[in-house]
Amino acid sequence: MKNKLFEKYFVFSPYFWLVLFFFIPLAIIFKISISVSEWGMPPYQDIFLFDNGFKINTSFENYVYIFSDYYYIGSFVNSLILALISTIFCLVIGFPLAFYIATSNIGLRNILLVLVVIPFWSSFLLRVYAWKIILQNNGILNVILLNLGITSEPLQLLYNQYAVIMGIVYTYLPLMILPLYGYLNKFDLNLIEASKDLGLNRFKTFFKVILPLSVPGIVAGSLLVFIPVVGEFIIPEMLGGSDRLYYGKILWEEFFVNRNWPGASALAFSGIIILVLPIVIFQILYSRWSQKNEI
Amino acid sequence: MDNNFLVIENISKSFGDNKVLENINLNISKSEFFGLLGSSGSGKTTLLRILGGFEKPDTGRVILDGMDITNLEPFDRPLNYMFQSYALFPHLNVFNNLAFGIKENFTQKETEINVRNIAELLSIEHLLKRRIKQLSGGEQQRVALGRCLIKKPKLLLLDEPLAALDKKLRSKTQLELTTLQKKLKITFVFVTHDQEEAMSLSDRMAIMNNGLILECSSPEEIYENPKSLYTANFIGIANIIEIYKKDKNFYSDNLGINFKLNKELKNTKTNILLRPEKIKIQSINNLKTSSFNSFCGEILEKSYLGSFTRYEIKINNMIISVLDQNFNSNSNYNFLKGEKVICSWESESIKILED
Repeated sequence: MKNKLFEKYFVFSPYFWLVLFFFIPLAIIFKISISVSEWGMPPYQDIFLFDNGFKINTSFENYVYIFSDYYYIGSFVNSLILALISTIFCLVIGFPLAFYIATSNIGLRNILLVLVVIPFWSSFLLRVYAWKIILQNNGILNVILLNLGITSEPLQLLYNQYAVIMGIVYTYLPLMILPLYGYLNKFDLNLIEASKDLGLNRFKTFFKVILPLSVPGIVAGSLLVFIPVVGEFIIPEMLGGSDRLYYGKILWEEFFVNRNWPGASALAFSGIIILVLPIVIFQILYSRWSQKNEI
Repeated sequence: MDNNFLVIENISKSFGDNKVLENINLNISKSEFFGLLGSSGSGKTTLLRILGGFEKPDTGRVILDGMDITNLEPFDRPLNYMFQSYALFPHLNVFNNLAFGIKENFTQKETEINVRNIAELLSIEHLLKRRIKQLSGGEQQRVALGRCLIKKPKLLLLDEPLAALDKKLRSKTQLELTTLQKKLKITFVFVTHDQEEAMSLSDRMAIMNNGLILECSSPEEIYENPKSLYTANFIGIANIIEIYKKDKNFYSDNLGINFKLNKELKNTKTNILLRPEKIKIQSINNLKTSSFNSFCGEILEKSYLGSFTRYEIKINNMIISVLDQNFNSNSNYNFLKGEKVICSWESESIKILED
């Protein structure tokens, strides 16, 4: 009996975690987002006032404000586009790599897996900073290009949206490779041979057999890249320029530069809802689909 | 009959330092059911994979119906390969698995007709909408077979076609497979480690060991007249007796018996084979005079196998195996452990193993 009780709690422990570290903070952010802002510490008024009897002191002005100014919506759209492009790049680069790792012999496979994970051992900040050194006007890449005579003037490689995409793809690639590897590792290579034997060339075999059977890995890897990239702050801050504004940066400025906590909270809360709701719906539909197809 | 339908010429293959196939030569006729029998590591699967195009041979050629296919990709070869694991596509249902290889070349209607025909041939019409995971082993085997046959291949390669089935289903499927092959007249080449399977399915079979083909003949010929010691031991139960020349006859030290051989021998020493079912045993009490070679022995072990009883009989210093058919349902007719018996055999039953 005792054991059963333990099992019950054990099974639900991830949900306690979720409630403690996701739903409660989310509720707090929501509460701040509907507060009235003021100068002070903290920079917002309490929701429940008891001065002259009980009074609820809320304001949805912040939501009206952020949804009426294209500055905010535009930055969110920019972030979504950035996340989409980065995810596609990670997938296109990561899939062949993951496939190669999964199908190579055990010795080589372990070495390659370690190589994929090694960047995680050094500081994320340092690695992004290193790209700054590589890409800057008198950086390594420009020096090489100048000396080879490929270009006569240093190229402006840094502080634009392309540098941001490159930095994100570089940083998030392992998050795509590892889940993909996890699925491809279980892939029955006889299926590829069977497809070729039945007359499909490499190209058609890829689209008719390998790709459909890798959908779970592709979904897992893509979500792992897409979701954090939408809120990514450091990489656009360090490698990006003023050509494009991203959601993470706007959020930071709203909180720490403008000290507009209710406005920033409204922005954060809207972002989470806009991002999480479609993903939850997608996951439900996807799990139904994969159950039906038994993948 | 066209003896050169499939010609395998001087095929060799190494993986690193490991020589897997050495100079393999085989001619297989049209509509033949051909078996490659060998223990694991004999190179039989590698040879089949070379025929399928999944491995490239280091040397040699493969010619199918007059066409050199050695360097063709699997998808360009007019043959199909049935995998031991069946390799059915888990993301497709039975219909789409069957249609997989023909969808491109046919209209939807033609595809459907073809799939229905093949499903009917293999009695799997009722399974067409099922997922692969919902099928039993036997059903999966049929779908794998159908997926190949629907392409109307010139040659069908089968890797351990029955290994994944349980014993009862296996013998039933064996029969179906031979009937189907005779009906469709497609050339079948299959690989197996199971000698019973090889004997019952093959028109002819090749015995492989260490990357070499030791013998290639009909199952009867290989069982009754094996050329090598390895084959004799590998197929069925074998009593191998070492004999050497003594005066005009040949003599076995262990048995203490003189053998008269009808054939001249090059060597002064050789092995002979005596299959256990060729030996007749009689009780020492009701001994009838016979023209057979008769020798006295003692039963050391006995195991009852249903249709046969297997005895281990000691004659002088050697233990030989004897299979005695259980003619009588009365168990009293069986011999007892420790009983003295007379063993006899016809001199034609003795086969000389030259290698």
